[in-house]
Amino acid sequence: MRWRSKRLLFLLPGFAGVMLFYLLPFLEVVRRSFLKSGNSAFVGIDNYRAVLENGAFVLAVRNTFLYMAVGVPLLMGISLILSLLLRNLLMRRRLVSAMLLPMAVPAAVMVLTLQILIDRQGVINGMLTKISEQITALPAFEAIDYLNTEWALFVVVCSFLWKNTGYMVILWLAGLAALPKEVEEAAQVDGANRWQNWHYIIRPGLSGSFFTIGMLSVLQIFKSYREVWMVAGSYPQAHIYFLQHLLQNWYLKLEFDRMAALTVIMSLVLLIVCLFLQKKLG
Amino acid sequence: MKKKGRIMLYIMICAMCAAFWGCGDQEEEIPMGRYADREVELPPGTFEYMHPCPDGSYYLYGMDTELTYVDAQGESKGKDRSWESNANIHVKYAVGVSDEGASVFAYTPRFWNDEEMEALWIAGDIRYLYYYVDEKGQKQALEPHGEGYEKATNLNTFAFSPEGELYAASDHAVYRVNVGNGEVESLFATGEQVKSIVFGGDVMLAADDGKAYFYDRAEGKLLGGSSVLDEFLSSHSTGGLVLAVSDKDMQGNVMPDSSKNDGDGGADAPADSEGGGASGAGMGDDGGNAQILYMACRTGLYRYIWGGSVIEQIADGQMTALGDTQRSPRAMQALDNGAFRVLFDGNYMVEMYYDETLPARPAKELTVYSLEENGWIRYAGQLFQKEHPDVLVRYETGMDGDNAVSREDALKNLNTRLLAGEAPDVIVMDRMDIEQYADKGVLRELDGILQPYLDDGILYRNIVEGMRMTEKNKIYSVPMMVYLPLWLGEKTYLEGEDSLEDIIAGMEKARQKHPEGAILYTLYPKDVLLQTMPVCLPAWTSKDGSLDVEKLTAYYQAVRKMWEIDSAGFDDAGREAWQKNNMEWYEPEDMDMVDIGFNFQYAAQQNFGETWLQLGFLMTPQVGMTGIHVNKANMAADWQEKELEDVVTFDAYTGQADNVYWARTIVGLCEQGKEPELAEEYMNLLLSDPMMRKWWLDKPRNRSGLTIRKDSLDDILDIDNIEFGQTMGFKDPTGINRPNFWPTEEEKQWLYQMMEDASCCYRPGTMLEECATKVGVRVLAGELTPEEGAKEVERKMAIEMEE
Amino acid sequence: MGSRLTAPAWATQAYGKWRKRSRAWFAAGICVAAAVLICAPLLMIPGGSLMDGAEIRRILSPILGEGKGFAAWHLIPVYPTIDHFSRLLIESPAFYRLFWNTVGMTAAILFGQLIVGLPSAWAFAAFRFRGRDFLFGLYVVLMLLPFQVMLLPQYIVLQKLHLYNHPAAVILPAVFSTFPVFIMYRGFTQIDAAVLEAARLDGAGELQTFFYIGLPLGKMGIQAAMVLSFLEYWNLVEQPMAFLEEQAAWPLSLYLPQISISQAGFAFAVAVMALIPALFVFALGQDALEEGIAYIGVKR
Repeated sequence: MRWRSKRLLFLLPGFAGVMLFYLLPFLEVVRRSFLKSGNSAFVGIDNYRAVLENGAFVLAVRNTFLYMAVGVPLLMGISLILSLLLRNLLMRRRLVSAMLLPMAVPAAVMVLTLQILIDRQGVINGMLTKISEQITALPAFEAIDYLNTEWALFVVVCSFLWKNTGYMVILWLAGLAALPKEVEEAAQVDGANRWQNWHYIIRPGLSGSFFTIGMLSVLQIFKSYREVWMVAGSYPQAHIYFLQHLLQNWYLKLEFDRMAALTVIMSLVLLIVCLFLQKKLG
Repeated sequence: MKKKGRIMLYIMICAMCAAFWGCGDQEEEIPMGRYADREVELPPGTFEYMHPCPDGSYYLYGMDTELTYVDAQGESKGKDRSWESNANIHVKYAVGVSDEGASVFAYTPRFWNDEEMEALWIAGDIRYLYYYVDEKGQKQALEPHGEGYEKATNLNTFAFSPEGELYAASDHAVYRVNVGNGEVESLFATGEQVKSIVFGGDVMLAADDGKAYFYDRAEGKLLGGSSVLDEFLSSHSTGGLVLAVSDKDMQGNVMPDSSKNDGDGGADAPADSEGGGASGAGMGDDGGNAQILYMACRTGLYRYIWGGSVIEQIADGQMTALGDTQRSPRAMQALDNGAFRVLFDGNYMVEMYYDETLPARPAKELTVYSLEENGWIRYAGQLFQKEHPDVLVRYETGMDGDNAVSREDALKNLNTRLLAGEAPDVIVMDRMDIEQYADKGVLRELDGILQPYLDDGILYRNIVEGMRMTEKNKIYSVPMMVYLPLWLGEKTYLEGEDSLEDIIAGMEKARQKHPEGAILYTLYPKDVLLQTMPVCLPAWTSKDGSLDVEKLTAYYQAVRKMWEIDSAGFDDAGREAWQKNNMEWYEPEDMDMVDIGFNFQYAAQQNFGETWLQLGFLMTPQVGMTGIHVNKANMAADWQEKELEDVVTFDAYTGQADNVYWARTIVGLCEQGKEPELAEEYMNLLLSDPMMRKWWLDKPRNRSGLTIRKDSLDDILDIDNIEFGQTMGFKDPTGINRPNFWPTEEEKQWLYQMMEDASCCYRPGTMLEECATKVGVRVLAGELTPEEGAKEVERKMAIEMEE
Repeated sequence: MGSRLTAPAWATQAYGKWRKRSRAWFAAGICVAAAVLICAPLLMIPGGSLMDGAEIRRILSPILGEGKGFAAWHLIPVYPTIDHFSRLLIESPAFYRLFWNTVGMTAAILFGQLIVGLPSAWAFAAFRFRGRDFLFGLYVVLMLLPFQVMLLPQYIVLQKLHLYNHPAAVILPAVFSTFPVFIMYRGFTQIDAAVLEAARLDGAGELQTFFYIGLPLGKMGIQAAMVLSFLEYWNLVEQPMAFLEEQAAWPLSLYLPQISISQAGFAFAVAVMALIPALFVFALGQDALEEGIAYIGVKR
């Protein structure tokens, strides 16, 4: 009894707060997903039906999924490679700090910078034009309207990578640091090559980190919404219309019932994915 | 064991939830007593300065009005100051009056009488000149001099001590001035210009915008300051802060020395303490009675016990005349009975008295919400408050000032409140989606309230009816004001039906005559959209709510044509120069571009010869109408063909939609509001004649729009109702202020007719407008063809419809 | 194929060394290049903060929708001006208040997260209890929920608690955020279960295990959590916007005017001021934190 209750005390304060500020609110969302917004009449699963039959929902899910499918692996891969390269470097800390800088820039300025860079008449197009003029061998460069064409998703992914690489590098490094050094050294003495080192030692050692970092990448994908919205508005190019555009627009239209239903669907999917991955990797 | 642990867990969670959930919802009893105010009638004249005397009488002084004495009973007696009118004085900058009636003031001479002086002034070599007038009216020039006093120093603040000593402050020091010989003794340096000086016994308090200086006059040394007071000063000084010292509390009782128990003096006061701890300035413990410093500013009346460390609010600005955003306090007098007199600019004085029969804060609250600050609505709140002292009008704005809160963020916050069941009572629906809010049951239908007004023909029925929601056939909101579209130019350009094609035709004609420069007043592609979209947008939505792509395509074609014609008069450098010339007063996103009456006046004056056709909106009844005339005259004059004045004309213009009016200050009531009756009364106040008329007569230059009340509009345009001295400033050759461009009877009738005809409502800030503007800019820049543009808008709107 | 050439031992060694060193250089080169690439766009900020409005307007005129060609940004202003900084630092006293608000808010949140999140993370990592996986999954999902959805119900909770419009309305939900728990948990799971078991057998109490074994070994996770939390809350926008009506309590991130090119210089100046503390935190915070944790571990 003494042991158990003491253990409980570790979790309880945190759990109490989570309960109050997250779990109860979430239950409220679940409750409202069965009610009609406005007069609070019980409507059963009507809201869910309305969400699933909604054309905008289909578009948003597709886009969000595509964004994740491209963004998450790229981010994880790039940051993992960088952290593997970084981990034995002396100037590691300074480089990581430099990579983290975009995170520290206020969102509004971030967006301003992006606008200056990626506008149709922006700096990037300007540089590309100049390059194509200098090197005559290249075909003439036509300025790209990044935000209003299919390039939009590319731009969003790039800015996502730009902002979050440092973030994930920190996490990978934390994971790498916890690997016992002796094992690797012993393996090297035994003549294991890099690939073997990675395959048999590092990768299994990082399997938990894969889960953590994967989840956090998804989190960062969700968080990148505000910047996308600030750059491209509530109704952006059709390829970068994400679930959160839908959520926000519904909120602005006072359609909280549908929002709630969508949230419940999203959470269920996330929970299943999370439990599955946890089993697999954790 | 396991079970026990789990049970414990459940119990703890439940207990915690209960503890958090239950707390605080109980009703509390409202204590009685708060400050109320009544207006004090002032003697004739315009006064900006008041000197309070200890016996309750006071002196009033204006920059160009004589010193006037008002005794404690409120009887005014002019003091003999007949010398003043022929004195060589331009403007009095600062004045000080003693209890006995001696006065001192700073002035600069009238320039046009003295070229030498003017030259000196312009060169910056001159400083203020000063006069001292003793209590008998003997005037003598005062020439400050002395050690540590530089000649170029200007004294901006004066104060006589109770003993009659004169103290003065420049922007960097405080001085004692010998009024006899002008000798100046520098007492202490200050960081900024000291704005007020008050006396409490031997101690003088000088306050600038961020620091309070306590000076012991007997000892001749600066005492320790008070950090609480400093902080207060720096956060409350904007908009005016006035000080007064008294040893009486709010009931007029002598304040016992309570520097030992701070903030306990008026125990029954609705005190709202700020700060705490002890960092005394070390005063108030010599004479037995504590000195209390009273401070009044826009947010309320505050008191600070000298030497204490607490500043208490004793009256909320919003519930008194102090909260009036149109006025700033100038001076304050603390009376023996615990009341205060406060003089405001604009020649307005109130007496604030403590009324024990009033509840400390009104039991009822009326919440008014608008996305952006709206002067008229704020004004209405103050009027309503005056009529209902038992109600607190809380005016909230979603976006204010320069910060990161966007329209969407503000709307999200509003929706959160609505969804949480904390709706405001009144919502100003400008730039909000009225249909959506009506659909979701947020808005109350107004047919019942509006019916009497419509039956009696008080309001323009057509404008009110323009707000009727087609689906439910109900009216949910009323625009209190409207803008009307107007165009202005040479008659030959303005032929035809005033449609988009006619505007293009007119522009082409103008272009033939004037091959260079702009035709319209446009700097950027966006401006063309800004000037034309309001009269076209309402036509794009068909009856079933879908987008009429053909109309939109036609619109894009038309505006592109207009932009091409306009651009043809420039090369790249030329347009850049044209933009640069106009940039000074042109702010993108601003409405200046479409205010035909007022700002086009400047446009015409400064850049004339470069705009030949003006499209815009009439936003101000008087100034707008007269402005058009000025504009007309300017056009004629600038063409140097005086007779052209007959040729230049103005008229309504239409785009794709007919009879458009731009709805402004659209007010709706909330279904869930807590005070439905009050909200109804508030609505009636908004629709009343005094509200609409007084606002315009008080502030003719505001851009609220033309009132939808017929009689008010008539009153506003009645030349006899205007005080021209304050409003227009157009001078005729005799030097008398009088408008020489007043609309004729015929033109007034024309305007009324336009109001009668206006039936198609344009509301800015819709999703469609946002999309169409964004895409429109790309169309004008040549990135998209009009057809592609319209398709793009259609695509975006399709997503919106799907949602 | 015939006989194999065998290099002399010294040569193999030298080659090995060279290979190692060149690899290290190669790695360093890639990392530096990546860091430079990431930081390059940010170089606009210091330069922009020193440009006057007219210059920015001129070089950005193509973006403003006028003028042909492309916007050209130069890193060093032609006519440098400190107008934006003087407007920010001298003319607007609000800046300092907002700055300290941000500092206070962030510090309170980080401190709270340590106090609350560490034990929770430890509990998830070190103890097995029924429903642990599910509960942890729930934590992750709660972490992932977009704020837009939680806005309304959190608002209701905060209203009930009378916290709305109080700094605690932002601080408390952040303190109980499941995000740091999630990251610190990862740090703790890398501790060998055998070590814990051994400690328990030695009769160490739960607290002792936590302080002696958990903290020192989980420090990388704690460090990562704190750095990432700092970044997150230093630029917090949505929560204060929704829960703090009183502008006096706002953090610096809300001070930035809405993005408009005409205000770009000023916005850049604010960004510089917001970046400086972040740099300090990167430079000093990481070490301090590391040492601090080590210290706690040793002292207990």
